[in-house]
Amino acid sequence: MKKWITVLCFTLITSVLLAACGGGNGTGSGSSEGKVRISIWHNWTGQDAKATAMRQIIEDFKNDNPNIEVVDEGLPTDGLRTRLRTVAAADEMPDLFVMWPDAMTKEFVNGDLLQPIDEELAANPEWKNNFIPNALDGYTVDGKVYSVPMNLAPTSFIYYNEAIFNQYGVKVPTTWEELETAIQTFNDNDVIPIALGNKANWVVQSTLFSTLADRITGTDWFLKAVEQDGAKFTDPEFIEALNVLKSLGEAGAFQEGFNSIDETQMMQLYFQGKAAMVINGGWALANLVNNAPAEVLDNTHITILPAIDGGKGEANVTSGVVGTGLGVSKKLEGARKEAAMKLFYALAGPDGQKATLDSSTLVSYNIELDRSKAHPLFVELYELMQDVKITPVYDSKLGSAATEVINNGLQDLLMNGKAEDVAQKLQDAQAQAAGK
Amino acid sequence: MNLLQNRRFIMTGLAPAVILYALFVFVPVIWSAYYGFFDWSGIGEASYIGLQNYAEIWRDPIFWRALKNNIIFVLASVFGQIPIALVLAVLLHKSSLLHRFLRSAVFLPMVLSTVVIGMIWQYIYHPQIGILNFLLNTLGLDSWRLQWLSDPVIAIYSLVPPLIWSFVGLYLIIFVSALQNIPSEIHDAAKIDGVSGLRKLVSITLPMIKNTVQVAIILCISGSLKSFDLVFIMTKGGPAHATELLATYMYNSTFTTYRYGFGSAISTTIVIISLLLIGTSQWLASRKKDAV
Repeated sequence: MKKWITVLCFTLITSVLLAACGGGNGTGSGSSEGKVRISIWHNWTGQDAKATAMRQIIEDFKNDNPNIEVVDEGLPTDGLRTRLRTVAAADEMPDLFVMWPDAMTKEFVNGDLLQPIDEELAANPEWKNNFIPNALDGYTVDGKVYSVPMNLAPTSFIYYNEAIFNQYGVKVPTTWEELETAIQTFNDNDVIPIALGNKANWVVQSTLFSTLADRITGTDWFLKAVEQDGAKFTDPEFIEALNVLKSLGEAGAFQEGFNSIDETQMMQLYFQGKAAMVINGGWALANLVNNAPAEVLDNTHITILPAIDGGKGEANVTSGVVGTGLGVSKKLEGARKEAAMKLFYALAGPDGQKATLDSSTLVSYNIELDRSKAHPLFVELYELMQDVKITPVYDSKLGSAATEVINNGLQDLLMNGKAEDVAQKLQDAQAQAAGK
Repeated sequence: MNLLQNRRFIMTGLAPAVILYALFVFVPVIWSAYYGFFDWSGIGEASYIGLQNYAEIWRDPIFWRALKNNIIFVLASVFGQIPIALVLAVLLHKSSLLHRFLRSAVFLPMVLSTVVIGMIWQYIYHPQIGILNFLLNTLGLDSWRLQWLSDPVIAIYSLVPPLIWSFVGLYLIIFVSALQNIPSEIHDAAKIDGVSGLRKLVSITLPMIKNTVQVAIILCISGSLKSFDLVFIMTKGGPAHATELLATYMYNSTFTTYRYGFGSAISTTIVIISLLLIGTSQWLASRKKDAV
């Protein structure tokens, strides 16, 4: 009896460990009787304009190319990331897949899973030369280009409700002092100054801190610190950046309990008109346009984080990444590669970029926006981005272990943590990652 | 001959199950232990690093916090779920309509998915629209208002009530069935001897279900050691690792920071800790029995 219980308990314990290890299926990749079969994994699963537009391109492609069989599979973003990792471990990549620049691209290239697309780019110079400066950097490893970005994702904008600002006679902040005054005034009147939902702990890091830190430390310092070459995260400028964020929290900039509500609930606080501002990436715009009530949406405008006096960074920048691209599996060759590249061009080529922009998503590609078709708020964002430059987001450059450390560190910092401790932990993690 | 045939029959009958069990339980555990000696990101070559992963776990303050939190969960379960369930079982073991209704009500959380339980309690604790803070306000206890799940200091304790609430029903049902299994002759004998009330409870009822309570405690320990879902839904181990459990620590290391080798080492550590704890509790229980 006793033994039986031990075995039972053992089973229970091990089953929880095993539950996390579900594997991904391989992708079928045979060709049947003259028909070429290619597979594509993407994250265009939602009902938003971008996802719909992309799915439409795939549908059109299927209809125009009856001899190519496209097996497309949509997964939610987090699921796609995890699943790609899983199949990468088993060396069973789909033929084409949505992938992220920088860290993920580098790792897949090092794992010998991708093939470069230099030939295709060279064959279409007008395509290659129309990308905005540095757009291909995140997809370039050892001089070879492995993909192109299909959108542009600035991660930090202040969306503000002008009606609330006018009601209390507050100026839209362009300097840090004005931001502090605004926070003070809103708190005095029981309005949430900035709605924040940091339960999924990347939010503060990605949407607020990356830009704030860049204002103080400058981009060069950050890139050096990432390489651990002449700069460390324990440097005084980084500590100062952490302290500025901490003092923002202490001034009551965010509503109570921000560590336990998620990004959706954060946007709801803003939609309900309870918050004067919300800081979020460019992706929040589609959500706003679709879900915000008219009285909030009509009063919403967009700006970037105000300048910080004495900071080393430029004022007219905001953090961001070039968007996702398509990875091309190393194993593709011959007719199947040709078919895959055709689909690649349909999705990420000039027509694909135009369809993306028309669906109210910024692109890293030089094309003019059709202002008559777009929502006024998107036009505002588009105009704003004409003279705002992009600086790196922390999690796009830091290793995944260091990212986890800074994300958790910022949660801690905003409750009662010390800037020095957070800086030290981040420094240790990044030094370990860079030392390998 | 007959015995031998019998044994052969039993062995052939068991073989498929044993093979499947070994294949899906032991093999992965051994594989996982094997990967624990490597530095592997899931992609590319794994490099052998000996016991470095284990050394890192030993030095990692997050591991110790996760272990501490897990122990809080085990203690809260054993000293929360079991006594409450026992008291409720003694009060509600009759099969009258009222008792059956109340038992179903207590059992209800067991039927709900953990996701639902997590959502319900998240709304109870919600910083803006939460019922708990609203109640405290109405009662004039404004100073008791807390940021239940946001504050790293108290977040882990805020997770204890949902944990207890969701599992009390299970132990209640186990105890009720144990109580109903006490032969009626014993009750009759007690009546003749004039024993009733508290005396009967302490001298007859509780000793009669002692074995069931022991099994429940072991289920409780192993159940709370492997808890993952509730925490993952309500806090994801945050804020700032404050509610990290061993299982979420393993999950985050493996699937957030993509350190498969390190994650495997944590899994192996969890297996060892679980075996140790369960072994200890078994040993304690058997020692008590011998002493009696």
